[in-house]
Amino acid sequence: MFTIYIRIEPSSSVPIYRQIIDQIKYQVATGSLREGDKVPSVRELASNLAVNQNTILKVYNELCRENVLKIERGDGTYVSSNKQNIPSAERKKIVANVLREAVIQAIQLDVSLEQASELLKEEYEAIKSERNK
Amino acid sequence: MDKNMIEIEGLKFSYGKDEVLRGVNLQVPEGSIFGFLGRNGAGKTTTIKLLLGLLKPNGGFCRIEGIDPQKDAIQARRIVGYMAEDQQMYGWMRVEQIVKWVASFYPGWDDKFTNHLLDMLELPRKSKVKSLSKGQNSRLALLLALGHRPKVVILDDPTLGLDPIARKEFLRYVIGLLQTNGVTVFFSSHLLYEIEPVADYVAILDKGTIIKAGRTFDWRESVRKIILNTSENNFSKIEGILDVSKMGERVALTVENCSTEKIGKIKASYGGFARETGLNLDEIFEAYVIGNRGEVSGI
Repeated sequence: MFTIYIRIEPSSSVPIYRQIIDQIKYQVATGSLREGDKVPSVRELASNLAVNQNTILKVYNELCRENVLKIERGDGTYVSSNKQNIPSAERKKIVANVLREAVIQAIQLDVSLEQASELLKEEYEAIKSERNK
Repeated sequence: MDKNMIEIEGLKFSYGKDEVLRGVNLQVPEGSIFGFLGRNGAGKTTTIKLLLGLLKPNGGFCRIEGIDPQKDAIQARRIVGYMAEDQQMYGWMRVEQIVKWVASFYPGWDDKFTNHLLDMLELPRKSKVKSLSKGQNSRLALLLALGHRPKVVILDDPTLGLDPIARKEFLRYVIGLLQTNGVTVFFSSHLLYEIEPVADYVAILDKGTIIKAGRTFDWRESVRKIILNTSENNFSKIEGILDVSKMGERVALTVENCSTEKIGKIKASYGGFARETGLNLDEIFEAYVIGNRGEVSGI
């Protein structure tokens, strides 16, 4: 069983079911959830997050429709897609959101675009080589 | 989920000259978690006491699975589990004693289930009630409300005074223990962010009437904020306008039952459309309860 770490922001104007969908997609896109991983049942995730079961049911149904998850009858729910199944535009959006924070920091700390790009490249190479080991 | 477990119609109640409920209407579908929201003093606890037959209404009625608690309070109490606001329990009793004592009032008390709950809720059987923490106290009150396997559980502000961790833990039990078993839950609170994740339905009680009731999910989708750049001051013509606020030339309209079509109409008739956003539940609550319904003075 794969535990999914989800953080719900109650003061957000984004509906809760949408927050959960986005976070599961994010985890699939970044590889922390991988194809074939079993996700918790509706009941388990609902109890764990203290969120209504019908909300989780809606989340799973939508993710199944988008081929991110698949239900194996009588067995459970699994991650069906790898990140390639998530549209490239959506994957870029996820990265852009994270980068925005880094850019704000860079500007505040007077790190130039060239310097920041160089850092991004270094980090990218380092993590990639680590994942390939 | 078509059958209603709780039905309240035209319920009125006054304390002397003070009219607390002015005709409350509510339907709580079987198996749902129903969030009953209102500010302090809105009449939530009064409604609950009427539901339990602890007070006599001045008008209207309520039914729990068809039973009128005014006529048959005992029968009603057999199918209802009730956790009072800030429930007081005999502090000198030990946990297992108070369980036995409460059990003696109910012919249908389930000892095996209660034993299981004592373990699950991590309640120390031999401890004195007065020595329990706030979190343990509320878990014990929940256990006492559930021991006779009720079909309906009424929780009156159950998380009052709990810290955020204990509160979340309590809500986990509401989902894992009650929703899983198809129990109907009627849950009052003044904390919107607490109700939203757990409730199928939410109703707002304000000044003795229900000003909004519906599926939690629809609320978020249908109430929108529309920002316009306009010098117009009067928006009372917009159907479902909940709040208008103005800063300079910028007007923020909060509108209920919003469809793409409706937003299109507003854009066309006022012009200067800037953007449209959703609101969080607190903002929605505020718009319903203290919203300015139409006219703003030019600042």
